[in-house]
This record gives sequence, structure tokens and C-alpha cells, in this order.
Amino acid sequence: MLQQVLQEIKQAQGPVNLNDLARKLGVERSALEGMIQFWVRKGRLTDDILEAETPHDVCESMCSNSCPGPSKCAFVMSMPRTYSLRLDDS
Amino acid sequence: MTVAGIVYTRPIGVQYSREIEAEIERVSAVIEQVPALTSTYRPRWLAIQLLENDEALQTEVKAACGGARVMAALEDSRVRLEQLYGEDVDIVLADHRYNFVNNLVHNVLIRPSVERANVSDRIDSIVTHRWLGIPIFLALMWVVFKVTTDIAAPYLDWVDFVISGPITHWTVGLLGLVGLNGSWVESLFVDGIIAGVGGVLVFVPVLMSLYFALAILEDSGYMARAAFVMDHVMQRVGLHGKSFLPMVVGFGCSVPGLYATRTLENERDRILTGLLVPFMSCGARLPVYVLFAAIFFPQYTGLVIFGLYLLGILVAIGLGILLKGTLFKGKEETPFLIELPPYRWPNFKTICFYVWERTSTFIHNAWTLILVTSIVIWFLMATPTSNNGSFANTDVNSSAFGTISGAMAPIFKPLGFGNWQNTGALITGFVAKEVVVSTTALVYNVEIVEGEMVPTTFLEDVVEVGTSFVQATVDTFKSVPLIFGINLFEAEEEPEPTELMTAIQAGFNSTSGGYGTLAALAFMVFVLLYTPCMVAVAAERQELGTKWMWLSIVGQFAIAWIAAFIVFQGGLLLFG
Repeated sequence: MLQQVLQEIKQAQGPVNLNDLARKLGVERSALEGMIQFWVRKGRLTDDILEAETPHDVCESMCSNSCPGPSKCAFVMSMPRTYSLRLDDS
Repeated sequence: MTVAGIVYTRPIGVQYSREIEAEIERVSAVIEQVPALTSTYRPRWLAIQLLENDEALQTEVKAACGGARVMAALEDSRVRLEQLYGEDVDIVLADHRYNFVNNLVHNVLIRPSVERANVSDRIDSIVTHRWLGIPIFLALMWVVFKVTTDIAAPYLDWVDFVISGPITHWTVGLLGLVGLNGSWVESLFVDGIIAGVGGVLVFVPVLMSLYFALAILEDSGYMARAAFVMDHVMQRVGLHGKSFLPMVVGFGCSVPGLYATRTLENERDRILTGLLVPFMSCGARLPVYVLFAAIFFPQYTGLVIFGLYLLGILVAIGLGILLKGTLFKGKEETPFLIELPPYRWPNFKTICFYVWERTSTFIHNAWTLILVTSIVIWFLMATPTSNNGSFANTDVNSSAFGTISGAMAPIFKPLGFGNWQNTGALITGFVAKEVVVSTTALVYNVEIVEGEMVPTTFLEDVVEVGTSFVQATVDTFKSVPLIFGINLFEAEEEPEPTELMTAIQAGFNSTSGGYGTLAALAFMVFVLLYTPCMVAVAAERQELGTKWMWLSIVGQFAIAWIAAFIVFQGGLLLFG
């Protein structure tokens, strides 16, 4: 099951929608989220927003307050969350 | 088994594969020989935990008497399983458990043969459709710009009235109280600070309505779909699928857009996307489009702005394809998973937060960067470069600002807007793109012959501000049907262009041999594509490195020049 998640992401032609993948594997979305978190912990998938978490000092010079990092940035936080496959490990 | 009406069930244990079960048995057998461990833990449970690399338990086992034998057996089992499965043992065990649970669920849960699609799924089947997705995205963006320009127009006029009327009167009055009437200080405040900062603040309602419309799309969950749809397009044309995410962020501001490129793990993809982000038209450029579209395309303001945003996307994609085929050739695509949030009704509080966060950045810029720039420009405009005139009493054409800008103006002659005023506005646009508007207001303002000011009292001004605000609110509601092409303003007269608008129109007509509209379109295209502001350049240097920063500065200027040249000279060929 866990391996299937990685296989589906690897073989897809383009970005894989989490809902579509849950349907394809015949599992609940919440169950799939658990599997994704497992792979993030194992380092096979990267949570892209968390990877880019370091605050940006240039933003601080532009915004009226200090940069809170991407997961709290009003511009960035509206974007969908993405998880990338680590090709070197897969 | 049933006893006294109560059903007792036997717990089902997770069954691993034969090979794993054999190894668990081996390790359990060794654990059973260590009383220090069996007194606390069940051997099978402990064996599984140890195989899964539980560090706390491993430490405890090592410390126990006889623990070394357990660890040796564990290591042997782990090596055998890893050789068999080619994978870490903890992953193999977790995979077996997920399979076990999945089989169990399928055996005990009866699902409808055809699962009913929920609302999100039904909407997604249309908005993320292979062929419909892009037209729906474009149609919604068109509505966003229609809302931005039509709905915000009455409040834009109101803010303009407040700044150029009461605030200017009160400033002049206050300076008069300290005996500074008619002095250069009054000119600095009225022609420098109020004209510059005020010229930008006028556009706050436009930006608020843009951010409001975008916030509705974002909070409803649509913008994530738009990014998903565009990711497919990006991938089809050979770019990284995830490139469009930072580019969508760039619609608000290029700096966090560049910042969002960090979500691309590959350096080459990150640099390529970072070079494309500044082509997305940021919010700061919007006031420039609104000002010039209102002057030269009053009937098609929304359409012109929508066209410019679209042009930015197309140029970015075109350049991306070019760079991917040359400098960034042959890079492997990183597969990724995207989590689309479910659709929901937008939350008013969240929308207000979004709008405020983004607008406050713009206002913050107005009070810092633009204030300082306006003062510097005013001083440069007040400083004579020859013996003609004195400080604050000089012909602006021969001022320091006029001279510097005039020296660079020939670069823009083939583009139809080569005078010192437009050149000066573009140069100062490097500080921040909103400054193009404030400088335009400053440099064209000096050419306006001021009429006699009708004296008003403070109370009259306050009443006028209040009544005009009510009128703006009424007009805003009347503007809503304009989105659907219904004009409730038909019976009323078309608003007269302001003196500033007339001055700008005359300026463009004179530089383009009477083709002011064409020159203005070329000017807007140039503003869309040329070198990003200094904060974005600093972000480029930090995120992409000095070499790529310079490529972006020079390359974007060249692309903007060529695009504006095509617009103006091509237009002359067609319509001249």
C-alpha cells in the first residue's frame, strides 16, 4: 500500500491530485494523508512548504512586519500544499 | 462466543508475511530468555518494536542483562529482511500493516458500487477539466479585473477628491498659519509629498478590490485548482509542473513569489522559475495600468488590464520554453503530489485578513519608499542645472531631474514615449513600481496651470468628504451590474478627465506624433515586462545569485523594450 503511493506519484504524467490518488487506491483521503506523512518522516517525500520555511530577510524590508516564513505568509499560504518525490532515494 | 447476551469477539492480530513472522519468532524466542524484558513487555510486541528501530526500547534492551544477545539476533533478522525486501524493515512492516488494514476494511465495509461524488468532486470535474480548466481560469480572471476596475472606480474618485481637495487645503492652511504660504516648503508638501504619495494612495481602493476578488477565489479553494490546471500546462510545454505555484504568488508581489521558488528542490528549476516570476504582473503595477487605461482606453479598462496580465503569463511561458531548450536543457522532472483543499464558502474574516495583509504592504511602501522618493524627485525637480532660475523657481525641463531623464529619453523614442517625463517615471519605477504613478503625477502636475482655489471652511470640507463618500458607496452598488454589461449610469454624463489626465494624454500625443493611445499601450507593456523593483532584485540576488540577478535586470529590460517596440511600431504599420 505504502509502496503503491510512491509508485503512483512516480508514474504519473504531471502533478497528482491527492483526492484522485485516494480514489484510485480505494482508500479514504485521511488514510492517504497518514501514508504521506509516513513518507515525509522517512524522507522519501518532502513537504515543500516546510522545506522552504526559513524566513526571508528581503521580505522583512518590504512588509510592515517581520517575515513569518512561508507557511504563514499571506501571499504563500493560499497556495496548495505540495509533496515532492525525492528522486535520488526512490 | 456469546455469554449472557454479550458477544465476545477474538481480537485479530496483524499477520505479516511468512518471512517476517519467522524473523519475529526468532527475535521473540531470544527475548523470552531475558526475564528483565519479559517481566515488562510481551516478547512479540517488543520484537516488532525493535525491528522497527524504536531507539528508546533499543537503549533499554542494551542495558538489560542478556540484552546483547537480543540485539545480535535483531541485527541478523534485520539484515535478512532487508536483503529479501530491498527496503528498510520499518517501512516493510508499516507497508504490511497498511495492507492488512486495507484488506480488513474491504472485507467488513460495504461501499456503494458507484461512489457518489461530493460537491467538491463535481465542481472539480468541470474546473480542472483538461479542456475547460484554462478557459474557466481566464474567464474568472477577466471577472476579477472587471470587478477591480468597475467597482473600485467610485472610491478611487473619492480618495482622489479627498487628497487633492480637503487634505491639500488643510495642508496649505496649516503652512499659512506658520507663515510658509507661497514658499518652497509649501511646494514641497503640495507638489512633492501630496502629489507623489497621494497619487499612489488614490489606488488603494483598486488594490483592495483586486485583493478582495483574489481572496474570494483563494478562500473558496479555486486558486489552488487554477495552479493545478496551469501546472499541467507548464508540464506540457516542458517546464517544471510546480513552476506555476510561485508564479501565481507573483500576482500579489514578486518578492514572495521568488521566495516561493524554494519549494522547488532542484536548483536549475528554482533558478528558471525565479527568472519567470517577475513577468507575473504584481499588484504594484496595477495602479499604472489603471491610470493609463482610464486615460487612453476608458471604455475597455478591465479588458486592457486583463490583457496585460495575460501577456505577462504568455511571455513567462514563452521565455520558459526558450530557456528550458537552451540554458536549462535536459533536466529531469520531479514528480509531486498536490493537496487541493475542499471547496467552501469564503470566510469574511479570512478575506478581510488577506485584503489587509496585502494592502498594508502597499500602504507601508507609500509612507516609506514612495515618500522618500517623492521628496528626492521634488528636490531634483526644484534644483536648476544652469544659471537659469534658482532653487524651487526653475524651469522643470532644465532641472536636475529633467536633465538626467532627458539624457536617457532617446532610448524610448522608438517606443513612442521618449520624453523626460516618461523616462523619469520609468527610472524611478526601479524603486517600486507604484512610483511610476507618483512620478508621473509629479512631473505632469507641474505643467498644470492651477486655477483659483475656491475657499472653503473646515466644516464644509468635512461635510463634503462625508457626502461624497456616501455618493461613492451608492455608485459602487450601481457599478455591480456593469460586470454583466448593464450600465445604470447611462443617464448621467461621462466624467470629465482631470487636468492630470489631460496633461498625460497631451504628453504621449506629442512624443508619438499623435499616436498617444498606441504609445500608452507600449508604455504599459514596457511597465509590465521591464526590470523588477529593487526589493525584487535583492530577492533575486539572494535566491538566484548575482549572475542570474544581472541576467534578469538586463534581460527583462531588453524583452520589455522589444515588446514595446513591436506594439508601437507594429501598431503604426497597421493603423498609421
